[in-house]
Amino acid sequence: MSDAARGEVDAAWAQVAAFTAEIPRLRWFSAVGTALAPAVIAAAERYVTALGLAPGPVAPVPGWREAAAITQRPDWSRDWWQAESACEQALQRQGAARFGLQPLLTALTALAEVAAGLQTCAAVALASAGLDDTALAKVAAGAAAQACHQRGLALLAGSEAGHAFTAKFELFAAGRWPLGIVGGTRFVF
Amino acid sequence: MSATAAAPIKSVDALKAAPDEYRLAVRKVVRSHAVNELYGARVYDEPAIALAPTPYLKWLTCRIAMEEYGHHVRFRQLGEQMGIPESEMTPEGRKPLSIFEFSLKTWEEFCVIKLLADLAEIIQVEDLMKCSFLPLRNLAKVTMPEEIFHSQFGKDTCTELVKTEDGRKKVQAAIDHYFPMMPAFFGKADSANNALYRKYGIKQRTNEDMRADFLKRVRDLVEGHLKLKLPEVVEAA
Repeated sequence: MSDAARGEVDAAWAQVAAFTAEIPRLRWFSAVGTALAPAVIAAAERYVTALGLAPGPVAPVPGWREAAAITQRPDWSRDWWQAESACEQALQRQGAARFGLQPLLTALTALAEVAAGLQTCAAVALASAGLDDTALAKVAAGAAAQACHQRGLALLAGSEAGHAFTAKFELFAAGRWPLGIVGGTRFVF
Repeated sequence: MSATAAAPIKSVDALKAAPDEYRLAVRKVVRSHAVNELYGARVYDEPAIALAPTPYLKWLTCRIAMEEYGHHVRFRQLGEQMGIPESEMTPEGRKPLSIFEFSLKTWEEFCVIKLLADLAEIIQVEDLMKCSFLPLRNLAKVTMPEEIFHSQFGKDTCTELVKTEDGRKKVQAAIDHYFPMMPAFFGKADSANNALYRKYGIKQRTNEDMRADFLKRVRDLVEGHLKLKLPEVVEAA
């Protein structure tokens, strides 16, 4: 491996290590239910567009109960979920080509172990809304952990294709929970 | 120090002074949990994310998969402290249990697996919560709330599915296919390993007792709660 390539690899690992360290410091779910600022709407639009999906309305969600109901509606966009899955698979191939599959998975496992703590953040946010719902806390934590995994993959792949996950993670980092595309609307809690 | 219910082994360090057969017995239990928690997450929980019918259930299944991986990590870490080679704590190094030979194809099957297999796991972990090796007892206490949630998830999702005729048929079909694999999960009757575990208080109950307890509890769930039929199986493995 050339010095330049080695430097690139080292930089990617350092980025992922910094990102992993950042996860517990973020204010997860701290802004859910509040009005959407222009920067949040812009990030939601970038997220969807970068997945190759058509732009559409971005809407807020007032509370946890409404968020739970939206994520259980039957008219959710399969294209959205499949676009994310395809992007993940492409990034995993790129990351594996860059570092080897096993080192890639080891880095992502370390990240997942840190993200496992996010259920507490969701439970605290639910409690501050006067709710005690373990299943919903796990759903929110699952979504947040998935976003961490996807952002980690994007960093490791070092690819333009990861822009969707960068924008998605921005929403979580802003204390939000993007609920996906349901009934043609991009819901951001 | 001998390991009995009255004189538990308090730490991995203290384990070094325990009889050889006690140490080997504890290693077998830890190794089995490390292998099977990982393999279950790989073959059932992670693939089920794609099968889940809504984003809510997909993210909940993501979380469940993470928790199952997390159980593997905890057992593996204990195993590492005990000096078990890492290669022996993965499905590549040790053959997983036969309950993982079922080929998962549908969401209904996954819900039934959580209903049945996680109840079986709860019965095993309940037993470990009185284990004479305290690091293992503590690990059982830590993982138990998540195991209970996973089993409840199976019950809740199956309860929802059987509200429609189509769902009812699919859940019954999944039970018919998967349930016959379950009794073997508890091990053979008159098992020498189980006798050793009980001799040292690592486990408290015979395989037959645990299997009978499972069959009673699962019958209450499937026939009493879901109003479905439990297929006849040979109960002794």
